[in-house]
Formats: sequence, structure tokens, C-alpha cells
Amino acid sequence: MGTNLPPIAEIWVYLSGSPLLALILTLTAYQAGVLVYEKLNRNPLANPVAIAVLIVASAITLIGMPYGKYFEGAQFVHFLLGTATVSLAVPIYKGYSALHERMLPLLVALIGGGATSILSAAGLARLLGADPAIVGALYAKSVTAPIAMGVAERIGASPTLTAVFAVCTGILGAVLGRYVLDFVGARAWWQRGFAIGVAAHGIGTSRAFSVHPEAGTYASLAMGLHGILGALLIPAVVSWFG
Amino acid sequence: MISGLVQILLFQGLGELVSKFALPLIPGPVIGLTALLGFLLARGSIGASLDLVAGTFSQHLGLLFIPAAVGVVMFLPQLQTHAVAVIVALVASVILTIAVTALILKTFAGGEDNGD
Repeated sequence: MGTNLPPIAEIWVYLSGSPLLALILTLTAYQAGVLVYEKLNRNPLANPVAIAVLIVASAITLIGMPYGKYFEGAQFVHFLLGTATVSLAVPIYKGYSALHERMLPLLVALIGGGATSILSAAGLARLLGADPAIVGALYAKSVTAPIAMGVAERIGASPTLTAVFAVCTGILGAVLGRYVLDFVGARAWWQRGFAIGVAAHGIGTSRAFSVHPEAGTYASLAMGLHGILGALLIPAVVSWFG
Repeated sequence: MISGLVQILLFQGLGELVSKFALPLIPGPVIGLTALLGFLLARGSIGASLDLVAGTFSQHLGLLFIPAAVGVVMFLPQLQTHAVAVIVALVASVILTIAVTALILKTFAGGEDNGD
């Protein structure tokens, strides 16, 4: 029965030429990441995106597929980032009544926290002698990844580094958040959630939802508002500080 | 499901057009987000289909960064050279941001529900 089958090399050439291989790789790796994350009781260190990136990066290195070739296929997933960004309007809308009740403290905290996150990462990295590509990406990473990557393109930073830094920030925030919040003595759920949403974006927000629904609502409100604020302010900050 | 997706795509298209021709510094999707938010606030409710689509996106948002993030393989030498700067910047920045935001909220909230 084997005699009629085309040689394996031919199958491989056909497969690697179509976007299908990159799509299968991306979605399967993500599925594996989610399974590991669930198995480890949603430990923030077992972040499904980080696991998937490790799997895909190792796989394309192993089979010798250039990154450009992989991205050609995976761009269909990448394209949906813009669509997903627009859909962030829904969680902000849902949190809007919360904003209404505590408008002043939330907006002041958003501006203070947002400015801290934009300036501290890029400022420290520059002080420690990191090169401009890294500093640029650190400016953009302070907001949620889908918005950060759009901002990165506008300020001439690498969307790749920005996405990686934004995911690392989310993981760090989800892991360290409770210790920092306990240390500064913020006990109310709305305060804890909002602070995590400003600092740790989507990963922090899903963590906040798993701890307490009120924290989650405030976190997603903070994440969305910080995204809008960052998109408006980061290009201006970058043109001032260069 | 489809009507919610159509709604989001229309706002995304609107955002891209405004970004291209009027506000080039702001990413199109962010303009689309703001316009959709304005629309929802004016309307005062979310359609079930839109809610479903937005929920699906936010649940699997991480999947959508994977293609770009895999590009990190090309930056490995650069990241290795500046590893200390990157790690210090990321860790310190997230701690400072959480602390500053929480402290402002605590100060402004004053006597308000500080317990749990």
C-alpha cells in the first residue's frame, strides 16, 4: 500500500508551503499551554501564552523554518489582534457604572499609575544601558499587549519585543501583585483589582477575576482605560524623551 | 455571534479610516474601541451577540499575541546582552506601578470601605 504514497519530502514541501502548518502549530501550542495551565491549578507562572511561545519557537527552530515563513501563515491569527482590541469596549462599558461611583480616585490613580508604568520601565532600562530598541519596546509594553503592539508600530519599536515584555509584565504582576498590595495596605477588592489592572493588563485581570469578581471588574476597567490613555500618551512621551 | 462580529469589524474599519486620514498617531483599533464604547454608552445596552463575541476574544486574547511573540527568537542575542537591564526594568516597573496606583486609591478613598 505504501508504493502509491508520495515521498515524505513531497508531503513536507506541500505542507510547509501553506499557511496551514503555521496555524496548526500556533493553535496546538496554545491548546497545550492552556492544558498545562489548567493542570497546574492556573498558577500564573505556567502562563499558557509563554508556554505556547516556547513550544512554537522550539518547533520552528527544530524544523529549520525561518520566522518570516512562520509568520506568513500565522498572520491570520495576528490580524485578529485589532478586532480583539475593539472588543475591549465591552468590558470597559460593563465596568462603567463602577467608574461612575468613584470617578475621581480612579482617574487620578489611572493617570498616576499609568505615568509610573510608562516612565519607570523605560527610564530604568536606559539608565542601565539597554539599547534603544529595548527601551522603545519598554515604553510601549506598559499597556495591554494588543494596544501596546499598535503603539509600538507608531513609535518605531518592535511589536515582537513589546508583546514579549507585555506578557512578562502580566505574569510578574499576577505573581507579585498580592505581596505588593499587602505591603502598601490596600485591602479593599476594588482597590486591589484596579491596581492590578493598571499594572498587569490581561493576565493580571484574569487573575483578579479568579480571586474576587469585584476585583476582576475593576481590573478590566483599569486595563481598558490604561490602554486608551497609553495609546494617546506614549507617542507624546516618546517624542519628548526620545 | 455573526452580528456582534460584524459590529466589531465595522467599528474597526471606521477606526482604521479615522487613523489613516485624521489621527495617524493613534492606532486604528484604539479609535474603533473608543467609538464602540461611545456607541454602547449612548445606546445603554449590549446586544447578546456582541457580548458573546467580546467574551470569546477576551478569554483567548493571549492566543493572538503568539505569532508576534515567537519573533523573540530573533532578539535572543540582544536580550542576552541586556538581560539585567530588562529584568530590573520589568520587575521594578510592575512593583512601582501596583504600589503607586494602590496608594493613590487608598489616599483618595479616605474613610471609604477600606476593609474587605
